[in-house]
Parts: sequence; C-alpha cells; structure tokens
Amino acid sequence: MQKKKNIGAKIIVIVVIAYLLLPLLMTLIYSLFKEWIDVVPTGFTFAAYAELLADPAFWQSVLRTVIISVIPIALCTVFVLLAMYVVVLYHPEWDRFMQVLCTIPYAIQGVILPICVLSLYTGAPEPLNNRMVMLVATYMVVILPYVYQGIRNNIAGVGAGRLIEAAQMLGASKLYAFFRVVIPNIMSGVTVSVMLAMAIVFGDFVIINTLAGGHFMTAQMYMYDVMKKSGQRTCAVIIILFVVTLLISGFAFVLQSKQGKKKTK
Amino acid sequence: MKSKKKAYLFAMVPFLALCILFEIIPVVYTIVRGFMPEGGALGFTLDNFTYIFTTMLYRRAITNSLLISVLSALLGIIVAFIGAKAVHDGVGKLSQAFMSILNMVSNFSGVPLAFAYIIMLGNIGVMTMIGKNYGIEFLANFPLYSVWGLLLIYVYFQIPLATLLLIPAFESIRNEWKEAVALLGGNKLTFWRKVGIPVLLPSILGTFSVLFANALAAYASAYALLMNNLTLLPIRLSEQFVGDIQQRPEFGSAIAVVMMVFMVIAIMIQDKVTPKQGEKR
Repeated sequence: MQKKKNIGAKIIVIVVIAYLLLPLLMTLIYSLFKEWIDVVPTGFTFAAYAELLADPAFWQSVLRTVIISVIPIALCTVFVLLAMYVVVLYHPEWDRFMQVLCTIPYAIQGVILPICVLSLYTGAPEPLNNRMVMLVATYMVVILPYVYQGIRNNIAGVGAGRLIEAAQMLGASKLYAFFRVVIPNIMSGVTVSVMLAMAIVFGDFVIINTLAGGHFMTAQMYMYDVMKKSGQRTCAVIIILFVVTLLISGFAFVLQSKQGKKKTK
Repeated sequence: MKSKKKAYLFAMVPFLALCILFEIIPVVYTIVRGFMPEGGALGFTLDNFTYIFTTMLYRRAITNSLLISVLSALLGIIVAFIGAKAVHDGVGKLSQAFMSILNMVSNFSGVPLAFAYIIMLGNIGVMTMIGKNYGIEFLANFPLYSVWGLLLIYVYFQIPLATLLLIPAFESIRNEWKEAVALLGGNKLTFWRKVGIPVLLPSILGTFSVLFANALAAYASAYALLMNNLTLLPIRLSEQFVGDIQQRPEFGSAIAVVMMVFMVIAIMIQDKVTPKQGEKR
C-alpha cells in the first residue's frame, strides 16, 4: 500500500517536471535544427549559435545588461547597508519604517513604477530627466525588497547586537564595529540576495522597454529585436541568456546551501 | 566631532533620497494626477475613473486582467498543491531534482517564455504543424493569440512559484494528525478536508495573493505575444505614456491607481494571513 502510494506521487512529480521542461526543451531543439515542421526536426546545426556569437551587437547588448545590472545592485546594497548602520546602532525603532519603504515596491511592481517615474521626470531638470539615471534608480527600487530582506535577515542571523557589544568592549568605535566586524560577517549571506537581484534585473524587459525603448539595447531588447527576424536565432539567444541566469542563481544556491551547512555545524 | 553629534544621520541620506525621489514622489504624483482633469489644468475630478469604468475597452481591460490573474493563480495553486502533496507523500531522491527544476524554470518567464509558446503553438508552431499534418483539430487551431493562450502562458510561470511557496507549508503537517484521524475512523479524504487543508489555508491564501499580484503586473509575456492587441490593464496603462497613440498622462495615471488598488488589496491579504517571522506559532 505504502509503495503504491509513492509510485502515484512519483508519477505526479514526473508529469509536472515534464510539463515544466517541455517549452525549454522545445526552444533548445528549435535552436539546433534548420527545420521543424513535422514530428522530427531536420538539419542539425550550430549555425544559429555561431552567427550569434560572431555578432558584435549581441556582445554589446550583453555588456550593457551586465553594466545596468551591476551598478544599481552595488549602489542599492551600499545604500541599504548605510541606512542599516543607523537603524541597528542608533534607532532600532526606525526599522518598522524602513520595512514599509522596502515593501512598497511589491505594490508597484511590473509596469507601474517605470511608468510613474517616466511621467514624473521626463520634463524635469537634469540629472533627473536623464534616462540612464531613471533606469538605474528604478532598478534600485525594484530590487530594494530583496536586498533589504537579505541584509536584515543576515544581520539578525549573525547576532549583530552581541558582535557590536563585544567589539565596543574591546575598544572599537561604533563605526568600526559595524563596518569592520558586522559587514564582513554578513557578506556571504548578502551575496545570495545580490545574486537573486541580479537574476531579476537580468531578466527584465518591462522597465528597460518603458524607460529606454530601443535606445539602450540590453540582451533582452536584443532578443525582442531578433524575434521579428529569425526564430532559430531567437531560440539561441533565449538558451544562452537562460544558461547565464541559471549560472547566476545556481551560484547563489550553492552559496546558500554552504551557509546552511556552516550554521548546522 | 562633538558639534556634529548627529553626523551618523548622513548615512541615512542616500537610502532616503532614493526612496523619496523614485518611490514616494512618483507614486504620490501619479495618484494625484489621476484625479486631475485631462489636458494639464489644475483641479479635482473623478472623470478619469468614470471613463475607465464606463468605457467598454477599459472595462474589458479590467475584467480580462482580473480573470487571467485569478484563473492563473487558481490553476497554478491546484497544480502546485498536487505537486507539493506528492513531495510531502515522499518521492525519495526525486524531490531534490524536482526542487532544482522548479528553481530553474522559475527564471523562465517574460519574453522568452512567450516565444517558446509561439514556436510550440503559434501560427507556424511545431505542434500546430503536427496538428495540421495529422488532422488534430485541437492543436491545429489552438487559440494562442487570445486571452486563453495567454492564460496558458501565465499558468506556466505560476506553477514553479506556487510550488516553491507551498512545499515548505506542507512540512507543518504532522503524521500524528493523520494517525489521529485514522484512529477516529476518518479516511484520507476526511483528513485533507477537515485537517490538512484548513491547516494549510493561510499558506494557500498567501500564495494566492502573491500569484495574483504577479500575474496582474506581468507585462512582458503579453507584449511579446500580442503587442498591444490584447486588452489588459498593464498594456492599456503603458500605451497612455509610451508608443504611437496619443498620450494621455492624467487618464493613464488613473489606470495606474486602479492597478495599485488591486495590488495593495492582494498584498494586504497576504500580510494578514502569513504568520510573521519571529512570532510565536
């Protein structure tokens, strides 16, 4: 009886896995064959990948994506750490307030925030009307909940209060205690949330399309552009970008499980 | 140094500046603007909202958006419940692989996902062609470029998210409870109806809100699939500000306000039902 039930459960899980992998596999196969109009595709080739990797526009778009992901994430992490310094050491009662500020982005996710920012600042004076400024700042707000949550959980996790007390007893200043004792201890945990944020910005299409249109062609915009030209090449772009995203989030996953192990020891 | 006792407060400035300039002011400005007459004149009016709720096009945008968000969330939760329950029943080593795949495909959304469905079920999609060649009506005439096609795509990205949220919830179900129900003469169905689902209900509701908000705000898949040809709230919202048709910022702001109201309701429900971190259970 017990065995039978488990077989049923296994079948369910396998069916769900098959359903979830189907579109991905189809995309992969589509990118590797010249023609696919019957059950079996014909003409196996790496041509789409070769073309893509030889296209300088593709590499430029990837480079733009990396730049536009790294800058907001780095700035956002620094901003939140600085604010946390004040909240943890001087005004713990402000934490509630900070939490609200870092939850609001959930309510304005998707197309709402970039539209609000765009309509407010298109006519504003420099530097606010600069599309790049708008783009970086909007990404920062979008990833704020993840960065904040990651930092906050880790500060609580390492017992920052006791660490700071100990450091102060040894004669360290508050500044030193926070930036030289607490932050190094939470850095690996913060990396996990940074990677998650990276995957979000990497996969973004709404914000870049709203705020920059075709003027700043990131990898996602490149993909959208190729979509109108060649199905096979689009699939190749999708697969490459998907693998990159996987590597990013896989890296976060490995870090996280490593941390979990450390804690149980 | 002593004269600047509060110098540490400067550390707060970048964060606050970001939140005020790019979160609070844009949102407040949009809300205020939604209540202003069109054309830039000052004053207070509800005309924009009356227009949304009385014009066929925008009423359809609301009903389409709500329909697709509620249905995709419901279907996603049903599949996720079955999947998470299977994991809970025990599938051995398969569970690790399942978790990895869920994490992996949760990154597959937006434009790439829409395109994958286009090559599968679009006008010249692989399955459509196979359907035509072998006379399978259902595949040959699959209505991908419609609300129902979009629903299919939305359900796809809801499932991994919902399952990842529900699997931890199943951990709270104890085997002792099942035994107790069995001792009292109940079968499995009684257990799930009287104990299992009620215990999981907060998690299910919380997950539902997350999924609902997720679908309501989603824009990339719909845009990649149909450009602006399907009436959905995010699409009607963005075309008031960017694109070829005449721009109507005040009216667009009112659409944004309507969307924000739906989002806030979803988040408030989620906040109510999920147990707070650190709170005693």
